[in-house]
Amino acid sequence: MNTSTQTALQPAARRVPVARNPFEGQHRRRMLKADLLTVIAWASLAGAVALWLADGGAAGFSSVAGAFTAVGIVAGLAGMDLVLLMLLLAARLPIIDGTVGHDRALEFHRKLGKPSLYLLLAHGVLLAVGYGMAEGLDPVSEAVALWVQVPDMWLAYVSTALFITVVVTSLVAVRRRFPYEFWYVVHLLTYAAVLTSLPHQFSVGGLFAEGTWQRWYWLAVCIGTGAALLHYRVLEPIVATFRHQLRVSRVVAVGHGVVSIEMAGRHLDELAGSGGRFFIWRFLAPGQWWHPHPFSLSAEPLQFDDDGGGRLRITVRDLGRGSARLARLKPGTRVAVEGPYGLFSTASRSRKHVVMIGAGIGITPIRALLESTPFAPGDATVILRGHSPSVLYLGQEVLDLCQRRGATLFHLTGRRPRGAQTWLPEKEARSGYRLASYAPDLADSDVYVCGPAGWAQNVLDDARRAGVREEQIHYERFDW
Amino acid sequence: MRIRAVVSATLASVGILVAGWQSGTHVTTTSSAVGTAAGTNGTGSTGTGGGTAGSSGSTGSSASGSTGTSGSTGSTGSTGSTGAAATAGGTFAGSVVQTRFGPVQVQISVGSGKISEVTALQLTNEDRRSVQISNYAAPVLRSEVLQAQSANVQTVSGATVTSSAYLTSLQSALDAAHL
Repeated sequence: MNTSTQTALQPAARRVPVARNPFEGQHRRRMLKADLLTVIAWASLAGAVALWLADGGAAGFSSVAGAFTAVGIVAGLAGMDLVLLMLLLAARLPIIDGTVGHDRALEFHRKLGKPSLYLLLAHGVLLAVGYGMAEGLDPVSEAVALWVQVPDMWLAYVSTALFITVVVTSLVAVRRRFPYEFWYVVHLLTYAAVLTSLPHQFSVGGLFAEGTWQRWYWLAVCIGTGAALLHYRVLEPIVATFRHQLRVSRVVAVGHGVVSIEMAGRHLDELAGSGGRFFIWRFLAPGQWWHPHPFSLSAEPLQFDDDGGGRLRITVRDLGRGSARLARLKPGTRVAVEGPYGLFSTASRSRKHVVMIGAGIGITPIRALLESTPFAPGDATVILRGHSPSVLYLGQEVLDLCQRRGATLFHLTGRRPRGAQTWLPEKEARSGYRLASYAPDLADSDVYVCGPAGWAQNVLDDARRAGVREEQIHYERFDW
Repeated sequence: MRIRAVVSATLASVGILVAGWQSGTHVTTTSSAVGTAAGTNGTGSTGTGGGTAGSSGSTGSSASGSTGTSGSTGSTGSTGSTGAAATAGGTFAGSVVQTRFGPVQVQISVGSGKISEVTALQLTNEDRRSVQISNYAAPVLRSEVLQAQSANVQTVSGATVTSSAYLTSLQSALDAAHL
């Protein structure tokens, strides 16, 4: 009797927490979308080569010169496809942003940079060799002949030089030496690089030859990418800026070098619920307007009227020269806004339990997330980390929110021990505490981390050791 | 999840590539047929040139070797009547010029000291785009040459490589004809 009731109860008891996880369906759909996007990306690459094959490209392999030319063409097609994928990854498409997040999308974007450049260089070299062999010229003379004789080819050379410039200035070692603005302007040359590469694809390459499937494929992909960039990176920000009519209403000092900027605007209810997702702000003051600031809201928008008119707030620290000037913003300054972007929000939740860890100014998105993400009392843990209690920005607000919503709050202050790989203060680290000491349900929780890169890596390592899977980790970088 | 993505991406890519390759083997034959059509198109207009042009029209699509023989008959014609070639007339094939987009060779028909017809025996046909350019450039060049009665004509824009090879081959044919 006893054993039968036990066996009857056990599966039921096991099923209950699974059924109670309200984020399981959302998580499964997001993972499915991520896999679909992966498949589409690879399929586009295969499709570029397949369409070339379908138009009889394989016939070139009958001779040595033809084989060089054919491989060169394939390299060019693959390179072009990767460049377009990179543009789409940086286009802030909602489908990509909502599936893998802005951070991961840019990570893939960076990973594709070098391969696409190598493919484009191989394209040029192999074609110079292949064409040269067909004509009885050495590759260098052939390259010169192409430049001089074939129309539009000089533009392709310019394009190659631009691509090299863009990739080299984006290498981490090189990028650190220059200010962000320099890198940004150079990066804009990507558009020039793509545009200068197009004419030779029309006039010399077979990509757009009439009567081929490739023509329609590449026309569709190029126009689609251009339209996506124009819509999501230019049109939507302009529309959002005019719709919300944001103006700075107040700048309040929160701590040393940290200010809260309050803005008033319209239709702010549409920006509610974004949690720790970030917006890109441009303060339209002289010398400031061209400088984009990626910050999340530090509080849910407060609404005053039915029109959605109200106030919102961001909290920023002087991380760069631009941020330092923000403390001197005058009330009434117009603000351009785009976003929200990223996955630091309820949209990426996969588990019932949630652990939120913020350090220093990284507390602000944690505060916004804590305010908006759903959890039952007792299911959430909040850890605030800083050198001293004075840098636990918005600490009082976080405490109030934790009390109201039933979250467990820890303040961890003090310096990290020298030479040790830990995210904890010296005393806690020596006592042998880990992340799981603060959050008992850690392995079955979503872990949101926001703070300096080196510190955050230690938190993530600790979480992974406790059995947290990659899909449960949500980390927002602040230093790009 | 990652495994599912890798497996389905691999399957999809391989499937797409195989499908493309399969339809490619089918298209390869038709695209070479397009190339042949381009060749005969050019030579088809030589119907006015004379009997020899008709025979070279059929060889135009095949290898340069057989057209080379028609070229040699032309040159023997020229050696036979040396200085009188211009008045005697006949067909003269130019040299084969190799370009990165394929070989180019033209043949001229000469009657009463004038170029009465220009025939392209071979034109750039490496890929569809080259065929397209050839089909567009050859008639333009032909009419310009017939009007100028020399190889001293402008190249067709957008078809620089084809044009310059065409005119080089034409000049060698003119030399052979002592024009």
